[in-house]
Amino acid sequence: MKDILNFLIDVGRLKKMPRRGWVLRGIKNPETIAAHTFRMTIMSWVLCCKKRLNLNKVLKMCLIHDLCEVCAGDTTPYDNMLPKDKKQWKKILDKWPRLSKKKKEEFFLKKYRKERDGLKKLIADLPLNIKKEIYNLWEDYEKGLTLEGKFVRQLDRAENLLQALEYWKKGKKFAIAPWWIQIEELIDDPVILEFTHALEQKFHPKSER
Amino acid sequence: MEEKKFYLTKEGLERIEKEYEALKELKLAKTKGESPKVMHSEDLNPEYLAFQEDIDFLELRIIELENIIKNSELIRLPRREKQNVVDLGAQVTVEVDGQKDQFTLVGSLEANPSVGKISDESPVGKALLGHKVGDAVVVSSPIQTIYRIKKVKYHLS
Repeated sequence: MKDILNFLIDVGRLKKMPRRGWVLRGIKNPETIAAHTFRMTIMSWVLCCKKRLNLNKVLKMCLIHDLCEVCAGDTTPYDNMLPKDKKQWKKILDKWPRLSKKKKEEFFLKKYRKERDGLKKLIADLPLNIKKEIYNLWEDYEKGLTLEGKFVRQLDRAENLLQALEYWKKGKKFAIAPWWIQIEELIDDPVILEFTHALEQKFHPKSER
Repeated sequence: MEEKKFYLTKEGLERIEKEYEALKELKLAKTKGESPKVMHSEDLNPEYLAFQEDIDFLELRIIELENIIKNSELIRLPRREKQNVVDLGAQVTVEVDGQKDQFTLVGSLEANPSVGKISDESPVGKALLGHKVGDAVVVSSPIQTIYRIKKVKYHLS
């Protein structure tokens, strides 16, 4: 039980870890990694009823998808692009970063390895069956191996878009374009596309365009 | 109603067939009350693990995979005169907002945007299909984005 307790104490750190994307954009009191996980898990439950998926697996996958960040920290696609001079950040953050296929593969692999090692470290002392379950669910999510993995991966982006729109609506202190551009390239699940359509109608009413 | 076609590369179809065979083996072992060997290994096996306790979902996934295999169609190299047009399997180089980007257009089952494989069912994938080098493709979510197609290449086996 001591090992399980230590694991839970480590997981609790996510309740205090701010999401890096908001920190980079200077959002005050930004949401934590745990807060993102909470709403994403609820989202998966309520949207899953429109799909024929294994809900048990989807819920567990949502809960563990960012556990690796306890040890690996939060990574954003902008991390290698930002110069020391913070004044230049806005210009970079206002655009969705474009990379060659080779660079995308390199970035993915580097992030994947860092997060995989972080997760392995976090769950190292858990009982074997739960350790394997967490690790396999994470691999599935990370690589989109099954229908559930693909669904949760896209949900992660959709929750992030919802949060971005909520912050953006408050003061429009950053460009919302990168989120929408990303969504249009990443999402192909019909239920999640329907959800993003609802977001568009709520946050970008035609009267304001 | 016409059944949905699943467009796959040769490698993608092989992966699906492998999963299908493995799950059938798992189902057989479960119905015999055995614990399949694969459950004891340290190998990556998310497909097996999800079905460890739930035979209904295992059966559902087997039916799903059967349906995919039955309705799969291999992505083939288009005719020479069509190779400047974006279709499934194409590697597309685009310019967006002054920046270069590269995508490979694949079916939904093989999409992985993190490594540049985008689904033909995504809004951008759908919009690019059928366009050729020199075209400017406009995608409008609330934000209008213009994708200028610079190069189309096929690397299919």
